[in-house]
Order: sequence, then C-alpha cells, then structure tokens
Amino acid sequence: MHKAYSNKLVILSLVLPGILTFVFAVLAPICLSVYYALTDFSGLGDYNFIGGTNFIELIHDTNFWLSLRNSLLLAAGFILIQHPLAIITAAILDRLGKHAEGFFRCVYFLPNVISVAIIAYLWKFIYNPSFGLLNNVIEIFGGKGEVNMLGTGTAIWAVLVVLIWHGFGWGMLIYYTGIKNIDPTLYEAASIDGADNKISFLRITLPLMKPVIQVNVTLAVITALKQMETVYLLTNGGPGNETQFMANYLYKQAFSSFKYGYGNSISVAFVSICILSTIILNRIFKEKAEA
Amino acid sequence: MNNDSVINKRPNPTSRIIMWSILILFAVVQIFPLIWLVNFSLVSNNEMFTNGLLVWPEKLRFDNYVKAFIDGHFLLYLKNSVLINVLAVIIVLFISVCMAFACSRMYWKLSKVVKGLILLGMMIPIHATLLPNYMIYDRLQINDSIWALLIPYIAFSLPQGLFLTCSFMESIPREIEEAALIDGCGIYSVIFIIITPLLKTSLVTVSIMTFLNNWNEFMMASTYLNSPKWRTLPFSVLEFTGLYSSNYAVQFAVMSLTAAPMVIMYFMLNKHITKGVAMGAVKG
Repeated sequence: MHKAYSNKLVILSLVLPGILTFVFAVLAPICLSVYYALTDFSGLGDYNFIGGTNFIELIHDTNFWLSLRNSLLLAAGFILIQHPLAIITAAILDRLGKHAEGFFRCVYFLPNVISVAIIAYLWKFIYNPSFGLLNNVIEIFGGKGEVNMLGTGTAIWAVLVVLIWHGFGWGMLIYYTGIKNIDPTLYEAASIDGADNKISFLRITLPLMKPVIQVNVTLAVITALKQMETVYLLTNGGPGNETQFMANYLYKQAFSSFKYGYGNSISVAFVSICILSTIILNRIFKEKAEA
Repeated sequence: MNNDSVINKRPNPTSRIIMWSILILFAVVQIFPLIWLVNFSLVSNNEMFTNGLLVWPEKLRFDNYVKAFIDGHFLLYLKNSVLINVLAVIIVLFISVCMAFACSRMYWKLSKVVKGLILLGMMIPIHATLLPNYMIYDRLQINDSIWALLIPYIAFSLPQGLFLTCSFMESIPREIEEAALIDGCGIYSVIFIIITPLLKTSLVTVSIMTFLNNWNEFMMASTYLNSPKWRTLPFSVLEFTGLYSSNYAVQFAVMSLTAAPMVIMYFMLNKHITKGVAMGAVKG
C-alpha cells in the first residue's frame, strides 16, 4: 500500500505537466521581467545593463504613484460603497420567496458574465456626450445634458462607477451565499424575542458574516490593484494619466513609449505590491480572528 | 399571494415597501444599461440622436446584426473562443486532479513545496507576465498560435483548480481507494476511474471558474496575437470600433451579438454558475 503511494516515477508523471506549465507561463516570465527591469531595453535592438536606475526613476515617477493612488481609491470605493450595498441587498434577497429571489439574483449577476470588452465600450457610449444614456437621464431630471464624464477632472469617478457597477453582482452573490449559510433558527429565535429586521441584521447577520466580509475585503483590494482591462479600453489612462492604473501604465510604457526595460521595472514593483498586500491583509485578519 | 413564512418574517408593510424599492432600484441600475444596449442595436444610426431614454424604432433594423455577424467574423471568433476555452477547461481539470492526488494522497518530501508554489500563483497578477511572455513567445515563434493563449490560460486557472480539487479530495474517505489498490488496481486507474467521478461537484466548479475567467479575457489575446487566425470573441467588438467608427448602431449590434453566447449559457446553467462562483470564491 505504502509502496504504491510513494512510487517516485508515478508522482513525477502526475505533477510534471502542471509544474512545467506553471514554470513556463508564470515563474519564468516573472524572472525574465526582473532581468529586463535592470536594462534599458527599448523592445528592439541592443541594450545595456543599467542596474537599479529604472527603479530610482520609478520612485520619482509621479504617474506611478498616481496609478497606485487610483488603485487605492478604487479599493476604497469597493469597500465603502459596493460592499455595504451588496450586503444589504443580499440580506433583503435572503428574505424573499423562491421565484423573486432567483429572478433578482439572476439580474444582479448578469453584467458579470458579459465580457469586459463589451462593458467598457457600453459605458463609453453611456458617457457619450451626444447620444449617451447618462446625458439623457440628466435631461429628464432637468439638468443640462452635455456633460462629458470622461473629460478632465471627472474621468476617474466615471471609471470608478463602471467598476463598482460591474463587480456588484459578484460581491452580492458571495455575501448571499454567506447569509444562506447562517442557521435560520437564529432569526426565528430573535423574532420571538421581538427583534425587528434592522436589529437582527445588525446583531445576527453582520457578526456572523465577519469571515466572509474579510475574504471579500481582501479580494476587493487585490482586484483594485490588478485592475487593467476596463481602464485600458475606457480611457487608456487618460486624459493625461488621470485614470492610470499600474498594469495599464506598465503596458503603455513598454508598448507605446518603447521603454520595455522600464515597463518591466514597473511590472516587478506591481507584482511585489500585489503579493505584499495579500500577505499583509491575511496577516491582519488572522490576528483579528485569533484575538 | 406570498407564502406564510415570508409574511411572518416581515410583518411591517412600510419596511416591506422600502425593501422592495431597494431591490428594484438596484435591479434597474444593473439591467437598464443592457436593455439600452439591445434597444440601440435595433435602431438606425439617425434615430439614436433623439432625446429620451429608449427609442421606439420605425423599423427594427436587423440588418445591423447581419453586418455585425459578417464583418465581426462572428463565427470564426466564436469557434476559436469555444475551442480554446474547452481545451483549457479539460487540461486544467486533468492537471488539477493529477496534482491534487499526488499532493494530498501520495507520500513524497516536496509535496507541500510544490503545492505551495502553484498556490502562490493566485497572488501573481496576469498582467505582470504580459511583457516577458510577449518576448518569450516571440523568440519561440509561437506568437499567433493557439499555444500563446492556451498555455497562459491553463497556467493562471491552475492554482484555483488545484486548490478546490485538493480541499474537496481531502473530504473523500481513503478506504475506497485502498480497497481498490488491494484488489490490484493501478494508481492511474484509481485516480481516473474511482476518484474522478467522486469529485464531480468540485470539477463542475473548477470548469465554471476557468471558463468564466478565460472566456472574457482579451488582454493576453490582443498582446500575443497579431493575425485574426486565433482571435477570440471580444475581438469582434475591438475591431469594430475602428471599422465602423461613425456607425454607432452597428457597434451596438456587434456588442449585443458577442454578449449573447455567454448570456444564453448563463440562463441555461444559472444554478450551476451561481453555486460554482459562490463555492470558488468562498474557498479561493
């Protein structure tokens, strides 16, 4: 028995395909990225080793810090706006009957199955000053309908709205599953004791949902840091670099500004920030759970 | 109208009105942009510039869809998307089951290290590999081939697949496979004939997560591919904005059209997808 389970050849045959794929597609590229980050490679032709020059440039690059700030802004938007709304909606949804529950859940999640490419262009049209949906809505409420939300100053808020809107259903669904896992007898006991919906939500739902909320908050921060696709198509970081995000910035530097080496140094910083924040958030929540 | 338990839970009519208005408000906010999208895909280009939220077209312009279908290379890109995603799902399932068995059942020194290494992949953002992978694929001349998409799609779905399969496999009692081994079954037949059918629930979840993640991906596709040969469905939309930059109605049509396959699939597999996402997210 034990012998069959420790046959080295069998083990190797089982894990090798996975390891090879992973090394080839994830690990090797990251190492290569570190290598190129130390060069002044433009993408074509020869290049020289320039040591840490790229990273020193990165520290003084205001656009990089701006993109990091935008990520944090997005994370705050997720945590302070999207998630509270998602929890409340999930809690109400939990109280509905069968058919209505399924219907609303389906409607809320629908935007999530649609490609980011479509969502980005759809919102580009919604924000369009001449025929966009937003301006028509503003006109109905008596405003002046020639607002260009993607222009200077407001663009970052316009981008945040799209991202919060698009991710709402996903967050709602996770909270909804969490609430479904709460023992219904708790609510019955509470209502016998005279608790109304508000009190049972605050005293039962929220405390029991703590682990789910923690997972969701971690996911929200990571998602915000990783954001690229929607911004790439919606504004490509513009106007100027107002709506820049890290992933989009490194892409732009490498392929539009032909600073491939510098792009890679942003990439290295980007990976480090993502890994670090995951570790830090897990650590914080673990300590809290133990305390 | 409602069943008794619902009424018992919410006796207060005002709070019921508030609850329903919240639900309906969010539903409208989530769904109205999509209704608007379908509506504008059926009007003529001139009708779009009228005031009001929705337009009642004089004639439903299905020719927008014909243009979108033909000039958007809909069939080719749909075929590519289906082929690449199905292959990715199958390979991810295969590798996940193999690795999960080796890591959670078999005895070897590096099992924890290997599992940890792959799970570390969950923290690494896809976009950080865009630049170096572009160079690697360029050198290996696999740019513009199916491999340029398939390999990263598999690699980035693998961590979650392995994680879910591992945690599910641990809940399967070992006695079943031990009995099979004593009866003279080989390790491979134990894995694929005895264990795999028991993993059905988690395999469905892994498939759904892999499919959802990769179906809508276009960043890698647009970086690694430079001819239409292997382009996937999102490219119908991306190419159209250049091609028909002033004919907006046709652009709306191409967007509705490319969204359709996934929306139809969602309606068909609604329950499985809901469950899969919930399970994947809670455990991931």
